[in-house]
Amino acid sequence: MEFSEYIKTANVEDVVLRQPLHPPGRGTLCITGHHLLFSDREEGSCRQVLLLLRNIDAIEKSVENLLTCSGLFSNAGLSQSGVSRLSGSSGTITIKCKDLRVLQLDIPGMEECLNIARSIETLSCLDSMSELYPFFYRPSNASLWDQWGLSSLERHYSQMKELHDRWRLSTVNRDFSVCPSYPQAVIVPKSTDDDMLEKVAKFRQGGRFPVLCYYHKKNGMVIMRSSQPLTGANRKRCREDEQLLQAVIDGSDKGYIIDTRSSQQALQARMTGGGLESKSCYSSWKRLQRQMERGKALQESLIKLVEACRDESNNMDRWLSKLENSKWLSHVQTALSTAGLLAECVERDGHSVLVHGSEGTDSTLLISTLAQLIMDPSCRTLEGFLTLLEREWVQAGHPFQQRCAHSAHSHARLQQESPVFLLLLDCVWQLWRQFPLALGFSEALLLRLATEAYASDYGTFLGNNQQERCTLGVKENTHCLFQALLRPRERDCYSNPLYEHTELAIWPSVHPQSLQLWRGFFLRWTPQTHHLEEAQEEIRNMVIEWGKLALSSCPAST
Amino acid sequence: MEFAELIKTPRVDGVVLHRPFMPTVEGTLCLTGHHLILSSRQDNTEELWLLHSNIDCIEKRFVGSLGTIIVKCKDLRVIQLDIPGLEECLNIANSIEALSTLDILSLMYPFFYRPMFEVIEDGWKSFLPLDAFKDLETMTDEWRLSEVNKDFSVCPSYPPLVAVPKDIDDDTLRKVASFRHGGRFPVLSYYHKKNGMVMMRSGQPLTGTNGRRCKEDEKLINATLRPGKRGYIIDTRTINVAQQAKARGGGIESEANYPQWRRIHKAVERSNVLQESLIKLVEACNDQSHSMDRWLSKLEASNWQTHVKEILTTACLAAQCIDREGASVLVHGTEGADSTLQVTSLAQIILDPACRTIRGFQSLVEREWLQAGHPFQQRCAQSAYSNSKPRQEAPVFLLFLDCVWQILRQFPCSFEFSESFLVLVFEHSYASQFGTFLGNSTAERAKLSLPEKAVSLWSWVNRPQELERLTNPLYEANSLVIWPSVAPQSLLLWEGVFLRWNRSSKCLDEAYEEMVHIIEYNKELQNKVNSLRRQLAQLETEDPLLQTP
Repeated sequence: MEFSEYIKTANVEDVVLRQPLHPPGRGTLCITGHHLLFSDREEGSCRQVLLLLRNIDAIEKSVENLLTCSGLFSNAGLSQSGVSRLSGSSGTITIKCKDLRVLQLDIPGMEECLNIARSIETLSCLDSMSELYPFFYRPSNASLWDQWGLSSLERHYSQMKELHDRWRLSTVNRDFSVCPSYPQAVIVPKSTDDDMLEKVAKFRQGGRFPVLCYYHKKNGMVIMRSSQPLTGANRKRCREDEQLLQAVIDGSDKGYIIDTRSSQQALQARMTGGGLESKSCYSSWKRLQRQMERGKALQESLIKLVEACRDESNNMDRWLSKLENSKWLSHVQTALSTAGLLAECVERDGHSVLVHGSEGTDSTLLISTLAQLIMDPSCRTLEGFLTLLEREWVQAGHPFQQRCAHSAHSHARLQQESPVFLLLLDCVWQLWRQFPLALGFSEALLLRLATEAYASDYGTFLGNNQQERCTLGVKENTHCLFQALLRPRERDCYSNPLYEHTELAIWPSVHPQSLQLWRGFFLRWTPQTHHLEEAQEEIRNMVIEWGKLALSSCPAST
Repeated sequence: MEFAELIKTPRVDGVVLHRPFMPTVEGTLCLTGHHLILSSRQDNTEELWLLHSNIDCIEKRFVGSLGTIIVKCKDLRVIQLDIPGLEECLNIANSIEALSTLDILSLMYPFFYRPMFEVIEDGWKSFLPLDAFKDLETMTDEWRLSEVNKDFSVCPSYPPLVAVPKDIDDDTLRKVASFRHGGRFPVLSYYHKKNGMVMMRSGQPLTGTNGRRCKEDEKLINATLRPGKRGYIIDTRTINVAQQAKARGGGIESEANYPQWRRIHKAVERSNVLQESLIKLVEACNDQSHSMDRWLSKLEASNWQTHVKEILTTACLAAQCIDREGASVLVHGTEGADSTLQVTSLAQIILDPACRTIRGFQSLVEREWLQAGHPFQQRCAQSAYSNSKPRQEAPVFLLFLDCVWQILRQFPCSFEFSESFLVLVFEHSYASQFGTFLGNSTAERAKLSLPEKAVSLWSWVNRPQELERLTNPLYEANSLVIWPSVAPQSLLLWEGVFLRWNRSSKCLDEAYEEMVHIIEYNKELQNKVNSLRRQLAQLETEDPLLQTP
């Protein structure tokens, strides 16, 4: 396929661009296969705006033309489209981006406007993954031969010496046949062999058998994650599954299963083939049901919240009740308190925990990630956090492609979209705000990740799981975001200047009064957050300056 | 009266104290005329010294012979005392109740407090109207300082010296005073250096139902207009409220009599509504339930944030008229001692960079609140916990501080002071060892000889060690007008006051310390670099060989 088929009008002069936080500019608009480029040709400024078409969530167009004239000339207009531009006809395209920015383009010429709009509509939601921009992005400062990714489970396992006694690395899934959404290697109890794993996989939804996700060095307890057991209405059981879990708590009296559904939901799931671990078959496991919102409900919550943030009625009551109605902050609260519960089971109670919901790819990952941030200091550095995301989201098979296809502005009918990853980032931000010294990364990193998950130059968040990425050759043909974020210049920008390592667990307060709207993200394009960013910037500059000065003044003073 | 009469049990041993974020302390409870003291008599535990005037209300409970007193303070802190012995507990409770509601000003603690620090500068003399006027004289000669109120007879709530247009004589002022509520004739509040426009404030005109007019009043305010220019009157009441005021003798400036002025009505709430709002807000903040919906709807129902928004909006409007429209402004509501002052003082924060310094802010509070006659004694008699029927109480000044905090949060580099300064001023406005916020007007303060008998809060603040604590490390003087966003999404709950005792700020404080540390270290290194550069330059001039090609 050629992109040019979709681009009828590639260039328009004399376009006015209006964007938040900037004065309007007049210049040239270009459409390419992946970008919308606006360059401001006015004197004294050479502003350029480069927008990834993938970042566009929805557009609205309105054309103002002399309707009567177009009626009169309709035949002629079609045949001589280039010549008969109706003077006075113009159009406006409002572009709503997935990073919540809203831009407006005033385009002279109705036809040009319609062409541009059509191109954007088509090119912003191309279905074929291999045509996405990451496969074309070739920055001059990086090569495709550079290392892809930060770590692998193989490396993770070999570094964790304390695991080797009781845990082993299994490659039962090396061709993704046992579980399509798992990586090729997983960590499982030593006593379970690959045959058993294959049987267990058949008993768990999507083949997601219980695997190790976190080992708590302080007391040797672990967090496992999986999907729901497929007990079905007639309460099927699977000895191998029971044995696997028994092997996890070997030597300890009991373990906890945190199910991210309400009991009712879990029981209903039996009707559709799913189910839960019954007390009789899993006697040494205690099940805790904690309902977390998922899928559509989260997406609707995001849509409502963004709408509330864009409300311009200037009415305090309305704002607060819209904020409440969106329920977003309740979801943040639930996620943090469930993660807190998980961490408490492991750190304070000293028991191992298995986490799952239905599919084990959304709320499961959300709380296992947050619990690790709470307990494990090594996850709280910039590198540690990115490695955690790589392991627990990218490799663990969170379906980014489906979940982040659209954001809050889209009118398209919802399919699999759901802002689970965004909710994670929001929760991490709450942690960051409550413990400003404990996390080694900055708010800017969270904002960058929130943008990149939805539209990116890099291949990291492409596809829904490792299998898809292998098929597409993501590793060979795209660049890695996590590597890019760790280059020296980026590292400066994404580190927290106030970071101080602490060994302690950071227990967040989940009182409603303690949780705040993540203004940096949701109100990012309104002027007031701008000043706060300036203050952050100021501190950052100071720290960078400080580093330089310390370097340059040392040799001189000795 | 002797305090001893009110104290039946001055001392109880074995009392257990519970405070937010501090370990429980067991020790001896002592009551004095002004303080509740609890000491464990060990060196390492902090003692509690609580001013009776800081106590808003108490609750007592008994289980067997163990009594518990819950003390709710005006700074919104809640502490608990477990007292062994029924009678002791009752006696203590009665004493606290009596001592915390004493309303004889001359018995208040500031009259007994002797400073334990060296007074470098007497705060009572730091911000005299005469000095402020000297500054004004350097900018304009259109104003004069009138002594018409020197014995407080023309307007009991004004200071003895006020700035008025030069061409208006004292007789005219007397006549105008009889036409304005409480004698509060229009006086200068702020002179905008950039374009010479002014902001004035007053009480409402007493037109009554039959539309009384006062030529002198018209003459006075017209004297502030440039030829051919129009001015704005910002009435902090809605048009309905203002019209209703006519029935009680008040009123508005009619278009017929004030053709050069355009009246704008805004809806800033009156005092009793504000007090209820504060009570609801604090109740919401102390709610222990874990429901997010409940918290957000309680926050909404308190309406506090709406008040913040209305006040800021009105202040922005006043500032806009002056800076952008180039017009002079007169602000008033009913009495001109509450919402009027919120608007005039916030407009100055927006317009005048000087008000954003520590000293400038003190001067602003002194001019626009203390000398302008905001009745602190009445407004701050009770805070959010009191069960007694509210009379004149209203968190007008607290709302002003909240609004300042909102602007400070939006412009974190433009203020010389940090949030802790605003919290400090809030605390002292409700209960203090200093005399600054005692009394309702300059007249009352003069009658009590406060400046001679008590210490000023500013004497304490304006010492290097305190100033250092209150300074904003990010401050960079910004000479521009700063326009805050008043969109509801931009306004936050002031956690530093309202959630101060509900959530630990330990981690946030640590981060703040760290930031301060970085900034100091940065300065140090900067100095080092400069001195090294100087050294290098010197070496280069001394030794030509060092001059590299």
